[in-house]
Amino acid sequence: MARGNEVTKIFISAAIFIVMEVAAISLLATSSTLHNIWLNRFSHRVMAFNWGLSEDVRGVFLLNRRNEELAMENHYLNEELRRYREMDRYMEEKSHMATSKGSFQYIPATIIKMSRNSLHNYIILNKGYEDGVQPHSGIISEKGVVGVVQAVGRRYSYGITLMNSNMNVSSRIGRTGLVATLTWNGVSTGSGILRNIPPHMEVNAGDTVLTSGFSFIFPPDIPIGVTGEMSNDDGVSSSVNVDFFQDFSALRFVTVVVNPFREEITQLEKGLEQEE
Amino acid sequence: MTDLKFILRFLLLIVLQIIVLATFNFSQYVVLFFIPAAIICIPVRHGSIYALVLAFIAGMLVDFFSDGMLGLVTCALLPVAFTRDFLLKLIFGSDFFTHGEDLSIRRSGFGHVLFAVFLSTTLFITVYVIADGAGTRPLWFNLARIAASSAASTLLSIFTVNVLASDR
Repeated sequence: MARGNEVTKIFISAAIFIVMEVAAISLLATSSTLHNIWLNRFSHRVMAFNWGLSEDVRGVFLLNRRNEELAMENHYLNEELRRYREMDRYMEEKSHMATSKGSFQYIPATIIKMSRNSLHNYIILNKGYEDGVQPHSGIISEKGVVGVVQAVGRRYSYGITLMNSNMNVSSRIGRTGLVATLTWNGVSTGSGILRNIPPHMEVNAGDTVLTSGFSFIFPPDIPIGVTGEMSNDDGVSSSVNVDFFQDFSALRFVTVVVNPFREEITQLEKGLEQEE
Repeated sequence: MTDLKFILRFLLLIVLQIIVLATFNFSQYVVLFFIPAAIICIPVRHGSIYALVLAFIAGMLVDFFSDGMLGLVTCALLPVAFTRDFLLKLIFGSDFFTHGEDLSIRRSGFGHVLFAVFLSTTLFITVYVIADGAGTRPLWFNLARIAASSAASTLLSIFTVNVLASDR
């Protein structure tokens, strides 16, 4: 009980003290402009601190809601970023797309995986039959021939590159118009061989080698490389070294060349074979 | 000492304080105040509200009759009156309040009384110097003024305690 009285006395004293102090400070403020400004500045600081404190307290209580809002915002921003990245990649693929020729369809693609150090080098692309890729479609870049699609999945396709011993490309030497089959030499990462060239035909070093267009895989005049030294194989035929234009170590974006009439041509060929 | 005697002496000290403030202006670093010691000497049986009222009246009188700003001394003196009980309990113990004793150098000891006077005077001088400067003076000046004024005022306050304490 005595303690309760003491606490009440302290409260009353504090209240009286505050009232008197406020009165004294008010007198001080009215008696001097300098003090008036000083006290006003002090009261503004106190008010600013109080507002800041109340905002902080409010912020703590709103933290959960704010976190949820931020998580949602983050989610939407990530979605948007993903869309932009997709668009960016599509634009980059488009910019690396080879020039379209004839009735072929051109599908931009990105290399997912590519081997360069075996005898049967392969390439995997991020486009499959859903994107219109078909088996036996050509793979080219803006620099030239890259390879041929062998198998097609729903979203990916598998192909062999020029650096594969099973790869043959019907080629034409630019200046002479001579047609020959180009194969990889199996050794170098950047050169192949044009075989079965008649020995009487003269091929100058530095001539451009292009696709002949005598197959349904590549359209004509896609660059492949330049001719190098010519050598006589066995007296009956000669061969010419070809340095590829394509640098396989720096390749990322390619274009798949699809011949939409390939099926029709194949059927025709089959029919002719049966007739014979 | 009777209450009437105390009040008369208290009023006399207020008059002396006004004269001191009006006369002794020899340095801007030193202000002489013995009024805080007078507040400490108010008999504890009257309680803190009584001390607050006396402090307010004394402060207003000093403010009004001295050449200072109205409210400045009152503003500094009220915290001394408000913290007086706490200060006395801290230095002299709670028995001081239980017996309702008056401040006495002979009973409490000169050192204890001097310490109580020093603390109350320093509190008063600190509030007074800060409020007087109104944020325009550098900290080092305020600190120097507080130190010099507290030391000088504490020495002068021993005389106040002699006048108001119950030893006489």
